[in-house]
Amino acid sequence: MNQVTEADERLLIEAAQQDPSRFAELYALHFHRIYAYISRRVRNRDETQDLTAHVFQQALANLEKFKWRGAPFSAWLYRIAANAIADYTRKLPREANSEPVAVSIADTESNFDESERRASVYRAIESLPDDQKRVIVMRFADEKSIREIAVALGRSEGAVKQLQFRAMENLRGSFSEKANG
Amino acid sequence: MAERSLNDQLDDLVTTMLAGRRPDLSNEDPLVVQLSEVVEELRNLPSADFYERLKEELTRSIEMSSPVQKLEPVVRRFSTYICVSNASAAIDFYVDAFGAKELMRLAEPSGKIGHAELQIGESILKISDEYPEYGALSPQSLGGSPVKLHLQVDNADDFARRAVAAGAIISRPIEDQFYGDRAGQLRDPFGYTWIVASHIRDVSIAEMQEQFDSFSKPKQAPARREGYHSVTPYITVQKASELVEFVKQAFGATETFRTTGSAGGLHSEVRIGESMVMIGGGPGMTERPTAIHLYVPDVDDAFQRAVDAGATALFEPADQPYGERSGALQDPMGNRWYIATTTVPLNQIDKDLRTVTIYFHPPKAQDLIDFLTNAFGAEEIMRSDSGDGAIYHAKVRIGDSVVEMGDARYEGQALPTAIYLYVDDVDAAYQQALKAGGTSVLPPTDQPYGDRTGWVQDPFDNVWYIATTIA
Repeated sequence: MNQVTEADERLLIEAAQQDPSRFAELYALHFHRIYAYISRRVRNRDETQDLTAHVFQQALANLEKFKWRGAPFSAWLYRIAANAIADYTRKLPREANSEPVAVSIADTESNFDESERRASVYRAIESLPDDQKRVIVMRFADEKSIREIAVALGRSEGAVKQLQFRAMENLRGSFSEKANG
Repeated sequence: MAERSLNDQLDDLVTTMLAGRRPDLSNEDPLVVQLSEVVEELRNLPSADFYERLKEELTRSIEMSSPVQKLEPVVRRFSTYICVSNASAAIDFYVDAFGAKELMRLAEPSGKIGHAELQIGESILKISDEYPEYGALSPQSLGGSPVKLHLQVDNADDFARRAVAAGAIISRPIEDQFYGDRAGQLRDPFGYTWIVASHIRDVSIAEMQEQFDSFSKPKQAPARREGYHSVTPYITVQKASELVEFVKQAFGATETFRTTGSAGGLHSEVRIGESMVMIGGGPGMTERPTAIHLYVPDVDDAFQRAVDAGATALFEPADQPYGERSGALQDPMGNRWYIATTTVPLNQIDKDLRTVTIYFHPPKAQDLIDFLTNAFGAEEIMRSDSGDGAIYHAKVRIGDSVVEMGDARYEGQALPTAIYLYVDDVDAAYQQALKAGGTSVLPPTDQPYGDRTGWVQDPFDNVWYIATTIA
């Protein structure tokens, strides 16, 4: 899903420009990398989610203005995201801003690579065995404790920790593939 | 510490990192250290439903911004709503004349119609009686309608014939038009004008514009003497000079020209208001007294002066139901003067209506209308009739003038007259008049006074001096 040829992507963009309901395909294709990019630059989940939503709303609203100039569609989305983060950071109260948010408009290739790596971890979660996946989502997205998860899944805490460990190993594997490949 | 299982080590690490603290990795198993990189990537993992929620949100945005949802005006159907005086009669007329189908009516017990709907072709015409309290006023109350209604029909000629039989009047003859339709205009008895058109050939917009441009080019000066309209009465009486005196005294006429006519009598030209009247004749010459509908500023005053100048009253000035105050006189030379004052400027009644209008009383006005139409391209602009062929009153446009007529109702009412008629091409008009049933009196001839004239007597004994100024 994350890999499409340039020609396919151009077709998808043109389709969405003519029929906005086709935007869903572009969203599916780019959600993880944009979320990953933002999550590396702001402090918490709520902010990341708000900014991610903002980026895709902006992209949808301005889609007709997008012109293919050789750079991939993701570069356009990254630019919207970078601007959104910069705007957001400017609006933060000084106090809250005392811990600087790592924002660089002049993103380097390595920034994008890091985002891509995080995005590939997100995608890899989808391929985990169901029980491992459930543990990862509850632990990292819902921020539940091992005890809470154990109760919810009707498993022992030891079993949950075991699932967490296996899941991490699996994710590490996919991530190394990406990182090295 | 080392006894702790890898599972526990990892979970402690996770707990520390989720709390936003930096873990101490120095004593951890190398595998756990490696996995710490994965933990770092998993911080702030989106909520389980976030991906779907945002997807739904975007879908809603798309739906909200789709064209139908925008606050743009959306019109489903356009129809016309007319107000008439006597809607019930109007419905009958539209059914008869246009083949309209009555779909519904809301009527008061008196029959007054609050709302009715007719289907005409594929369209709906909505109609009501007058309700002044709601601003619903008919053309009669408003003095006309600025809106014309357009009927696209299969055959404009047949359609117009049927409408005329039902009581419509042809206000512009059905003719081939530059824009590719055969079209004309009908006036219904309720004051609305209907354009009736059938398509006969395709014309591009560019071609239409070209034709249209040619209309707005400055036209050649009309081939007539200055100050003259198309129609001028030529009154011939033996006492011509007395008549000139009479119109001066009674109606404030100004004599602009006097000479000896071609037959040896007097030839005089007088102006009354913005119209010219030619007066001629002399002892022993054939008399052609004329009936004139004359608009004057003050009918009572003019009436008195005419009586003082020797005229006989036919009827005293009185307010007429058609909106004029008028009286009638006969002058000592035998001409009848229907004099009138209106509160409305003449050009609002009809753009070509003038101070002096000839009034014909032929045995059958319809025959004269037919002759004028065929001979001079005249067009009927109004009529009041009995419905079975008798015409009480009609107005016909010839060139830039209007003449009036009504069937003669008694012996001697007909006053066959002479008319000086300016046309663009005297030879063509002369030929056309003969074809229409006229008799030649004098073929087109260049006259010493600068006009080329051809004389034609119509079947009703009026003589038409058809003229074009050539020098």
